[in-house]
Amino acid sequence: MVERLRNYIGGEWVEAGGRDWSPVHNPATCELLAECPESSAGDVDQAVQAAREAFGEWRRTPVLERAQFMHHFKNLVEDRFDDLAEVVVRENGKTLDEARGEVRRGIESIDFGIGVPFMMRNDGVEDISSGIDETTVRQPVGVFAAITPFNFPFMVPIWFLPTAITCGNTFILKPSPQTPLSMQLTCELIDELDMPEGVVNLVHGGVTSAQAIMEHPGIAGVSFVGSSPVAKIIYETCTRNGKRVQAQGGAKNYIAVLPDADMESSVKNVLGAAYGCAGQRCLAAAVAVGVGDAYDRLRDELVKQVAGLRVGYGLDETTQMGTVVSAQARERIVNMITEGEREGATISLDGRDLQVEGYEDGMFVGPTILEDVTPDMSVAREEIFGPVLSLMRADSYDEAVELINRSNYGNAASIFTSSGAHARDFKYRVNAGNIGVNIGVAAPSASFPFGGQKDSFFGDLHGQGLDSIDFFTDRKVVIERWFEG
Amino acid sequence: MTPLNTFGAIMTQAIGLEEGLADYYKRAGNSDQAGACARRRQKMMRIRREAVLEITLEAIDGLDSDDYALDLEDVSEAGQARAASTAARFYREVAPGINVRQARRALERAAREHAGQ
Repeated sequence: MVERLRNYIGGEWVEAGGRDWSPVHNPATCELLAECPESSAGDVDQAVQAAREAFGEWRRTPVLERAQFMHHFKNLVEDRFDDLAEVVVRENGKTLDEARGEVRRGIESIDFGIGVPFMMRNDGVEDISSGIDETTVRQPVGVFAAITPFNFPFMVPIWFLPTAITCGNTFILKPSPQTPLSMQLTCELIDELDMPEGVVNLVHGGVTSAQAIMEHPGIAGVSFVGSSPVAKIIYETCTRNGKRVQAQGGAKNYIAVLPDADMESSVKNVLGAAYGCAGQRCLAAAVAVGVGDAYDRLRDELVKQVAGLRVGYGLDETTQMGTVVSAQARERIVNMITEGEREGATISLDGRDLQVEGYEDGMFVGPTILEDVTPDMSVAREEIFGPVLSLMRADSYDEAVELINRSNYGNAASIFTSSGAHARDFKYRVNAGNIGVNIGVAAPSASFPFGGQKDSFFGDLHGQGLDSIDFFTDRKVVIERWFEG
Repeated sequence: MTPLNTFGAIMTQAIGLEEGLADYYKRAGNSDQAGACARRRQKMMRIRREAVLEITLEAIDGLDSDDYALDLEDVSEAGQARAASTAARFYREVAPGINVRQARRALERAAREHAGQ
């Protein structure tokens, strides 16, 4: 019988109160892996109560001791590294290398959390006035929650969890119901840490539990990663309910390739950026703009190399691109390619009908290249979130920048060039939160904030880096005077 | 034919190669080399875990595991020399395809160590 997942609340594995269940499938084999409950508002409330009860003891736990828990957590994740990577592949469909990379990136965030004792230090001034000292102290805020997506089922929750709890907060995690198994295993590891019960809680579910998190008065702040329309709803609902919120949305990332770029390296990078994780990442390259005569060289080499990519089951080490996450995702991506064709794009490489031997029912979309794409087409404007790269022409560098800045999204943009002047100008003028210079996927490491502008981010303080210390703490100002005698 | 077309495929091949050689040298009574291979296997496993980032996806062309098949039956000195030579060639030829410096260094060093046997 297939496993029915349970919530982890107050240090106990408990059944969800909701009646609905959603299937968790392996998108390559279509095997039913588990059933995920739709937790109710009551389940969320139970988790909040457990987290609030734990908060008092946890915030009094010395920060160095809290950081020690993260050392132990890191060791457990390292011990189970291969198991975690395999779970990511089985529930998400990406390749083993990509899953290993994801777990490694998550571990970087645990490392960052271990550094919280240093980052929680603050400042002060003696004799700000005669005999009066003024200092600031960082304090934890209370209960935080994270609502996380299917595309990085291990890494994204771990962007938030270690820093939040090492700062002294308690935490509720609601992973995507499409990919809940990575966090199920992670919480089994957390259970081994013997932290006070209720410091970390796992609530499974979809819209009902997310809504309950957004509206619960006992939750101080919410971190979200997902699509832009949902990010906007999360931001608006959470702020209306008096919460801190950082909501990272979708993207339409452009890459400009200039005539003076190292074409061999550029093509490799564009390929990895567009088709890594089957294009299901918010930093994926969606549009490559070839400037001047770079366009033809870029197109010819890309078509040649992309056609050779080996698509298959992620657990096969020789697979270079895996599946998309679900049948619905596959259908949406295929429909968007068809719509692009209807609007006038030329399909140079068509992945719509790809069949993978041995996995005929798998959710595969082959790598796709659309040519002659113009800015008004839906494939140039809307997020596809699949292995589809649109190619656009620009007569000049300035025209390329104009095309990029026209997008409603502002997650990432990259330039490939050997010109320092163009690179500097690109950094200066392009409206995107993560800029790559000769880098296809401008993914900030854990000690830097994950940027995002326009419809790609709703909030003030970004995830990761020092922004996360500000997000997960409150600075209290202390002004003190001691009378002599 | 199994293409060595990803970082994971190459590192898994290296781990399997060292595992096979550790057992081979043990049977050949060469405990020093058996120990060295077992240690290298551990190192390759660590590198497979540590030296891969999700941003690093570059296709690797032109390598196949069949080109590095080892004869693990012949434990004579000549057989051991052939096995070491094949292992060294494997590491020498795969290292340039790896774009992570830490991993490439380890592969290059493994090539030198096998060649020096």
